[in-house]
Amino acid sequence: MIQHFDPSQHDKALAKDLGTPAPAADAAPVSVEIDGVEITVPEGTSVLRAAALADINIPKLCATDSLEAFGSCRLCAVQVEGRRGTPAACTTPVAEGMKVTTQNDRLARLRRNIMELYISDHPLDCLTCPANGDCELQDMAGAVGLREVRYGFEGENHLAAETDHSNPYFSFDPSKCIVCSRCVRACEEVQGTFALTIDGRGFDSTVAAGQDEAFMDSECVSCGACVQACPTSTLMEKSVIDAGQPEHSVVTTCAYCGVGCSFEAQMKGDQLVRMVPWKGGDANHGHSCVKGRFAFGYATHPDRITTPMIRDAIDQPWRPVEWDEAIAFAAKRLTAIQDEHGRESIGGITSSRCTNEETYLVQKLIRAAFGNNNTDTCARVCHSPTGYGLKTTLGESAGTQTFDSVMEADAIIVIGANPTDAHPVFGSLMRKRLRQGASLIVADPRRIDLLKTPHLADAQHLPLRPGTNVALVNALAHVVVNEGLEDHDFIAGRCDTEAYRAWRDFISEERHSPEATESVTGVPAEAVRRAARTYATAGNGAIYYGLGVTEHSQGSTMVMGIANLAMATGNIGREGVGVNPLRGQNNVQGSCDMGSFPHELPGYQHVADADARGRFEAAWGVRLDDEPGLRIPNMFDAAIEGSFKALYVQGEDIAQSDPDTQHVEAALRSLDCLIVQDIFLNETAKFAHVLLPGSSFLEKDGTFTNAERRINRVRKVMPPLAGKADWEVTVDLARALGYPMAYTHPSEIMDEIARLTPTFAGVSYDKLDEHGSLQWPCNAEHPNGTPTMHEVDFPIGRGRFAITEYVATEERASRRFPLLLTTGRILSQYNVGAQTRRTDNQVWHDEDVIEVHPSDAEVRGIQDGDWLGVSSRSGQTVLRARLSERMQPGVVYTTFHHPGSGANVITTDSSDWATNCPEYKVTAVQVEKVSQPSQWQRRFDEDDRRQREYLATAREAAS
Amino acid sequence: MSHDRDETLVHMVNQIATNLSGGRSEAEAVEGVCSHLEKFWARAMKQRIVACLDEPDAGGLEPVARQAVAQLAERQTPKAG
Repeated sequence: MIQHFDPSQHDKALAKDLGTPAPAADAAPVSVEIDGVEITVPEGTSVLRAAALADINIPKLCATDSLEAFGSCRLCAVQVEGRRGTPAACTTPVAEGMKVTTQNDRLARLRRNIMELYISDHPLDCLTCPANGDCELQDMAGAVGLREVRYGFEGENHLAAETDHSNPYFSFDPSKCIVCSRCVRACEEVQGTFALTIDGRGFDSTVAAGQDEAFMDSECVSCGACVQACPTSTLMEKSVIDAGQPEHSVVTTCAYCGVGCSFEAQMKGDQLVRMVPWKGGDANHGHSCVKGRFAFGYATHPDRITTPMIRDAIDQPWRPVEWDEAIAFAAKRLTAIQDEHGRESIGGITSSRCTNEETYLVQKLIRAAFGNNNTDTCARVCHSPTGYGLKTTLGESAGTQTFDSVMEADAIIVIGANPTDAHPVFGSLMRKRLRQGASLIVADPRRIDLLKTPHLADAQHLPLRPGTNVALVNALAHVVVNEGLEDHDFIAGRCDTEAYRAWRDFISEERHSPEATESVTGVPAEAVRRAARTYATAGNGAIYYGLGVTEHSQGSTMVMGIANLAMATGNIGREGVGVNPLRGQNNVQGSCDMGSFPHELPGYQHVADADARGRFEAAWGVRLDDEPGLRIPNMFDAAIEGSFKALYVQGEDIAQSDPDTQHVEAALRSLDCLIVQDIFLNETAKFAHVLLPGSSFLEKDGTFTNAERRINRVRKVMPPLAGKADWEVTVDLARALGYPMAYTHPSEIMDEIARLTPTFAGVSYDKLDEHGSLQWPCNAEHPNGTPTMHEVDFPIGRGRFAITEYVATEERASRRFPLLLTTGRILSQYNVGAQTRRTDNQVWHDEDVIEVHPSDAEVRGIQDGDWLGVSSRSGQTVLRARLSERMQPGVVYTTFHHPGSGANVITTDSSDWATNCPEYKVTAVQVEKVSQPSQWQRRFDEDDRRQREYLATAREAAS
Repeated sequence: MSHDRDETLVHMVNQIATNLSGGRSEAEAVEGVCSHLEKFWARAMKQRIVACLDEPDAGGLEPVARQAVAQLAERQTPKAG
């Protein structure tokens, strides 16, 4: 019999809990008969799941399809013809010809007895319980027909157990616990944190966090997997306790990191009650992290800007005005500036947090209505080297795999990325694969949390010195070449011969050997050799990297070095391998795809390409400039010089996120017109003349593209607070500038993108609704998208090895600045923190601290908690010290989630040679004990206070 | 015209030249740097860096960078006309 994909089974898997996870899709078909109904399912399916697929719903409590079968509650007991007893349906796999009975008197009695025991130790406060309406225990009591509890309620019980309210987002009420272990298993299997356990034995068994501590004091990372798994109200969202059960839900995409998790926004009217990770989400399969799951309160925070505001100068109070007046004011200023200073004197920055459609419109506004190519995006400061490096070597500016591909990887290299903090849901998936036995190699100056698990005794950590990535990747490639570990078939069949020969000659030179580079990288030669052998010989080798690769003076070179390594070992073009940039912001891939860069039209089509430009000119009805425009740092330089006068910034906070803050502030101050469109008065808005209210991801339709090139739908669940979605504001501004855009819905913008961008040709909202998500390229050749890139050939034909000469950064330790500062992120806060700082995530991280190695601290007399002045050639700031051995001596570390910390006052103008991506990861600094904030911080506090007053005054006037 | 800005641009070209010189002949490196500038630099930046050729010591442009900028100047001339 020919088996093919059965869409009805797929739909059922999304519609209800099937009790146990799906087995491998390609498993052999097995036919069984359940209550006389015949059904064919893949081998390895449990009887419970098979029955559910046949719409026979066997009662269950400890089983849920996100977790492996456990068989503890016995409620799913069934009878199987020819077998003895009453096996649990969840732990019994189907067998060919099996005949199962799920309902008869004997089973009914058995189930009722089980439920009776459960309920004898459960509070009977169903009417006032927060889970009322969404309680599996209540449902099962009903399903089995429980009518009495013969044991009474006076015996020994857990009803007086105290609730743990310590977590800001959920409470733990052990009196409602049935010890089904779903939470414990979710923490292990789904999240991989192992924070929960069952304490005690028999009747004394209780769920415990950490060493029987409060949740907040345990290792719990508040991902919500346990809350999701709990069948009662034991683990319950506080938002549901407060608001009651939601009444409708909409599937949408999270607006935090580049993983792009799908969530059900569960609503009461236009009030968001909770975000529940959607199991149909192709990126997250029902998992979440503390940000996406819980930190959505910012969307309705009182700080939201809800009225457009204007002012003539930045030292003046804001004037609240109607939309029309604000748009007219902005347009008039832009036009006047262009008349006086020329066409190229203005520009704009697109948002990597907004939708593809909005980003596309902003760059279209700049190219078509401003008449220049002065458009850039925050990817400039994070992954622009990925664009350059991967396009040069592999021919496409994007990662090569799906996230799920990691489940086929045998050796995983993680370079300059911190997935458990910055991409938590993918981090959990990677940990799952590592628990299955894949080898792990981490190249990072810090000992990241991924290494912190008992399952990875032989994980390899290459603790390189900041700024020496290229020397390390060259050494790895040198070992591959000189120890004969190359995949010659792949190289001969897929790669450009001449480029390969030149690279091979280069990389074989002794100066690239691990022994020769040891003194540069600080990594022992033998460790490098072992890592190279592991990666090249494990079978499937996959490389994941983050901003620790790109944010360097040789960021682009390093990306090419990674691509070289993957090509040399044939680790491209199939599941389980590949070059995988972990993208920072939710839509940073999309903002690059949508033509945000000054040299590229949407789809990475160069502005000098006459054919491509011609298509856009025909569609947009204007002549387009054939020369690239200014990048963000170039805009700043030109602003300070006086040739660049106006900037339109949508949804970015360059004053906080960009390096060398004092330089950025000087640039912003010198603008004659700064238009900021944002949901809050962010740091950049304090320098603005026009402040246009932005809309959160909950308030508009559109799409985000995640790090896997996956286009996911963003769906409007509430009206925009200020009346307009971001795309509508851009349309208004374009019209006021004399360039009307006729869109009535974002789907029309996507249709235009599809017409003009070859890799998006097959994308439409209808198709996205049908498929859930699509990975570009999606066109005639790949109508359902492309999960794995470069399977047959590269977009440039053959892969091109690139020469990757190591050039030491100019930012090096000296007598004056003897330490190296590197910067990063933590789990609970997101980027500049504008969103997460306005949620209870603050309880995890309410200030940025500077981590110092104890030996560096000792020689400076520094104690944990001291105030430290951190100075570089750019500036000085003051942060609290935390002693930490996660970095090697000589390296200090901080985060930039709080504006007053001034982490970027210290970072410098040093940047990637090819893309000007700033070198956030290496700054030479000195630290010393101080007693007061830095001069910059005192000025910042003063400016901040004044600008907040201006806002407060404007708000009063508006109300 | 800002001297600082020229210095920044010169520094940028020198950095590009350093990174594109490894494992290549001088002519290849010059071509690489020139096409990089063509492809990624804004019009005003190109004009500024070309003008640096007239300054003493070419504003500090190192040899490969200087040749690349000279090549850029030649390629830009027909466009300007």
